[in-house]
Amino acid sequence: MDRDEHFTAEALPQFRALYATALRLTRNAHEAEDLVQETFLRAYRGFDRFTPGTNVRAWLYTILHRVRADTFRRAGRSPIESELLGEGPALPPIQDQLGAELDLERALGRVPEVFREAVILRDIAELSYEQIAQVLEIPIGTVMSRIHRGRALLREVLGGKKR
Amino acid sequence: MSCVPESVTGHVDGALDDAARARVEEHLSSCPSCRAQADAETELRQRLRALPAPEPRPGFEARVRTRLRRRPALVRWGRVLLPLAAALVGVAFWLRGSPALVARELAFDHSRCFAMRPLPAVSVGHEGASIASWLESRGTRVPRVPSRADGLQLQGARYCELLDGSAVAHVYYVGSQHQASLFVLPRGLRMGATLEIDAGGQHVRLLSLPGQTLGVVGADLADVRALSDELLRRSARGFAPRE
Repeated sequence: MDRDEHFTAEALPQFRALYATALRLTRNAHEAEDLVQETFLRAYRGFDRFTPGTNVRAWLYTILHRVRADTFRRAGRSPIESELLGEGPALPPIQDQLGAELDLERALGRVPEVFREAVILRDIAELSYEQIAQVLEIPIGTVMSRIHRGRALLREVLGGKKR
Repeated sequence: MSCVPESVTGHVDGALDDAARARVEEHLSSCPSCRAQADAETELRQRLRALPAPEPRPGFEARVRTRLRRRPALVRWGRVLLPLAAALVGVAFWLRGSPALVARELAFDHSRCFAMRPLPAVSVGHEGASIASWLESRGTRVPRVPSRADGLQLQGARYCELLDGSAVAHVYYVGSQHQASLFVLPRGLRMGATLEIDAGGQHVRLLSLPGQTLGVVGADLADVRALSDELLRRSARGFAPRE
């Protein structure tokens, strides 16, 4: 199997999962497409650095996270840092009665990205704490606190409703 | 143990070590508030995991796949071109050490300089010591430069550029019939102590000294041998003393 076939077999099956995460992070289809496209182009260029047998999903998420960080850097803004500085914006509960899934997606979208990303990587992408620490380049203790805070904010947005 | 909500999160995710897990479990058994947090997070996890993945717009995945297919062509070319470029660099280095190629270059430079009127010497003089001193002030150490050899008279020197961009000291000698050149190359060549080559209508004699190569070039073989023998005699006595 040559390099291209190997890339197709390993990385491309993750395309939709990456897109879903990108859309949940950016909340904008165009931005999500740019993010995913750049992630896969970089992944292709750097595929020689991927260690076969390790988790390709975690590797792709690492690239996606860096591409996103680069986008913020180029745009001269850093919502990640500003969100980390304080408690984050006030998050009023969602009141409308939409379907439970849509409700949850919308609530997730209102959690600041720095915490949202940790929750997505853990609860939707199902990465381990070690993998998330590697993707976000933060200590495991910080992973735990971001997930905790993200879930707490999510519950707050959902209004503490049991569904 | 007092409430540690973050540890409860770690416990829900099975991310705690044995000791921490035991402590949290003991705490959960007696803390309804933390138990409620654990239950709520567990339920939230299940709901999030069950969320359907949003679908990309039609055609997006195909577009990215097409771009990825376009890149490989570049990368494949790169895979061919890079080793080729490396090979060319290797060949260039190999040629740099080739006596035949260097002899041809020196012969060409000899003919070119002596075709100029006046002679393009930058340092003009008939005294070997002053020319040697001028060369040394520019970083070229040479064995005592002869002022005369057989019928040849020293005229001056300058630096000439070879094809690879390196500079060589070029010392000019003129006799009644012929001209001769002494070149000082700041590197060794793949050769023995001396080598005679006919190149570009000239006789070239290369002399290998430690750390440098001397090249004597001229149309007359007797002149070339006389000058190079003189240089060998002088180099056996050592380099010119530093001023």
